[in-house]
Amino acid sequence: MSSTANTSARPQGDPPREWHRFRFPESLYRWGGVMLALLFLSYSFVYLNIPLDRFLGMFGRIGQVIADRYYPPDIEYVTEPDYLASVVDTIQMAYLGALFGMLMAIPLGWFGSYNMTPSRGFVYPVARLLTMAARAVHETIWAILFVTILGFGMLAGVLALTMFCTGFAGKLFAEEIEAIDMGPVEAIRATGASELNVMAYGVFPQVRVAFTGIGIYTWDVAFRAATVVGFFGAGGMGWYLKRNVLQIETERVAAILLSIIVLVLISEGVSAWARSRVARAK
Amino acid sequence: MAVADATIRNVDRIIAARAKTRTIRALIYMVVLLLVVWSVKTTIVDDTDWERMGSVGNVLHGVVQFLGIDWGLVPNLWQPAVETIMVATLGTLLGVMMCVPAIWFGALNITPYPPITYPIARLMMTLSRSIHEIVWALFFVAAVGLGALAGVLAIAVRSIGFIAKMTAEAIEDLDPKPVEAIRAVGGSDFQVFVYAILPQILPVMIGVIIFEWEINIRRSSVLGLVGAGGLGLVFFRQLNTFNHPGVTTVILAILVLILFGEVVSYYVRKAII
Repeated sequence: MSSTANTSARPQGDPPREWHRFRFPESLYRWGGVMLALLFLSYSFVYLNIPLDRFLGMFGRIGQVIADRYYPPDIEYVTEPDYLASVVDTIQMAYLGALFGMLMAIPLGWFGSYNMTPSRGFVYPVARLLTMAARAVHETIWAILFVTILGFGMLAGVLALTMFCTGFAGKLFAEEIEAIDMGPVEAIRATGASELNVMAYGVFPQVRVAFTGIGIYTWDVAFRAATVVGFFGAGGMGWYLKRNVLQIETERVAAILLSIIVLVLISEGVSAWARSRVARAK
Repeated sequence: MAVADATIRNVDRIIAARAKTRTIRALIYMVVLLLVVWSVKTTIVDDTDWERMGSVGNVLHGVVQFLGIDWGLVPNLWQPAVETIMVATLGTLLGVMMCVPAIWFGALNITPYPPITYPIARLMMTLSRSIHEIVWALFFVAAVGLGALAGVLAIAVRSIGFIAKMTAEAIEDLDPKPVEAIRAVGGSDFQVFVYAILPQILPVMIGVIIFEWEINIRRSSVLGLVGAGGLGLVFFRQLNTFNHPGVTTVILAILVLILFGEVVSYYVRKAII
């Protein structure tokens, strides 16, 4: 008697159709993708020779290493004037690197934003590529390269941080410019202004606050990077870290790490405060 | 008359306020400029060994020797490149697992006991973000020995901060209505989590994880410098044997790897979200 109701829907005896979010071919692709990812992951354990049995006892061993070797930290070492001078050096390096990096990032951000770039065919891809290359190469690699070319010292560190900040701020600047309201830009264009004037009076007032915030954030990130460029001979506190790591002075290493953490906490606090001030001044 | 007086006083006040902001701004610029001069003097002028660097020609010579590509090295780059990707992937996954407690403690609306657990979570996040990956790798190389495991751990610990922070913020912004709805039809706590909370935070989390994976490729490409395998080790060897075109080749390989990561993350993001 149910046949009259169901003739058009399905033949007799079939189970009722269940609802699935994805139909047959798509569901196959999805499960296939998940399976491939799992396969890749389990294969990477084999490929990388990761000893899984060591994995479980690892946390206990790390705790023991900390307790045996890194405790107590040699706090006196980090209060010596030599070390404190290197901290000041690090802050100066981060400051200069972030400043130079932003000076380079502003034109790159302008040329690399799709809506404001002077030429979409040539300048835009070049600016994008430069930003990406500066960002893709890790700051330690920049530091090593500049140390090889220019010799040991803080100049190499400043240049490495400049490259790092160029990439970091350039991308954020470009994104910020792409998000502006095009109304003022068109208004100023309509008066016959040059591209530079459009930039100065149509774009810059809109992104000024955001750029300041990004600038402060860039300085914060640059400081974190600056703590290690010295590791490869580019000046600052990284050099002390490297020396003590090589001499296996683990208690001093612990003290240096603690000082880095404290300094980063301070710089993060200062940057958060400054950014909130800037955002309020809007 | 009174109205005009008031207006004039207002105008005076505005002008005075403007003059004040202008003075403050000029002062800030002055401080910035002085700091620049001071920093340039101590870091660049005093600390550089100008004698050793020599003339502009010497520096140019130093740059020129890096130009060129060592094609013979390219076949040897496959294995380290794959290793780098694997370390980044495993590290990101392990980081996701490790950041579960940090997320649980770090979201103000679900943290078990705010005065104690919330600061613990914030401390975990800050520790993870404030210590550079090179330092983490050094620490784990000391703890578990040379090899990829140290790299995976360093990447994992370094990823905790960002993933946990973004996810905890997403949980704090949860819409409570689906939670109530599932509770109202008699769902258990687990069902509330699966059907009301997870669908809301999953898109954010997946986006953050993919973003972090992209950054981790960049990070894992240098961990070899301190003995954790991958492209960094090849880079280090090429540099120490003064094979400068080889150094450029490795850097280009890293660039290609990062482009690959960007392409993959674009498609994965499109497929999942």
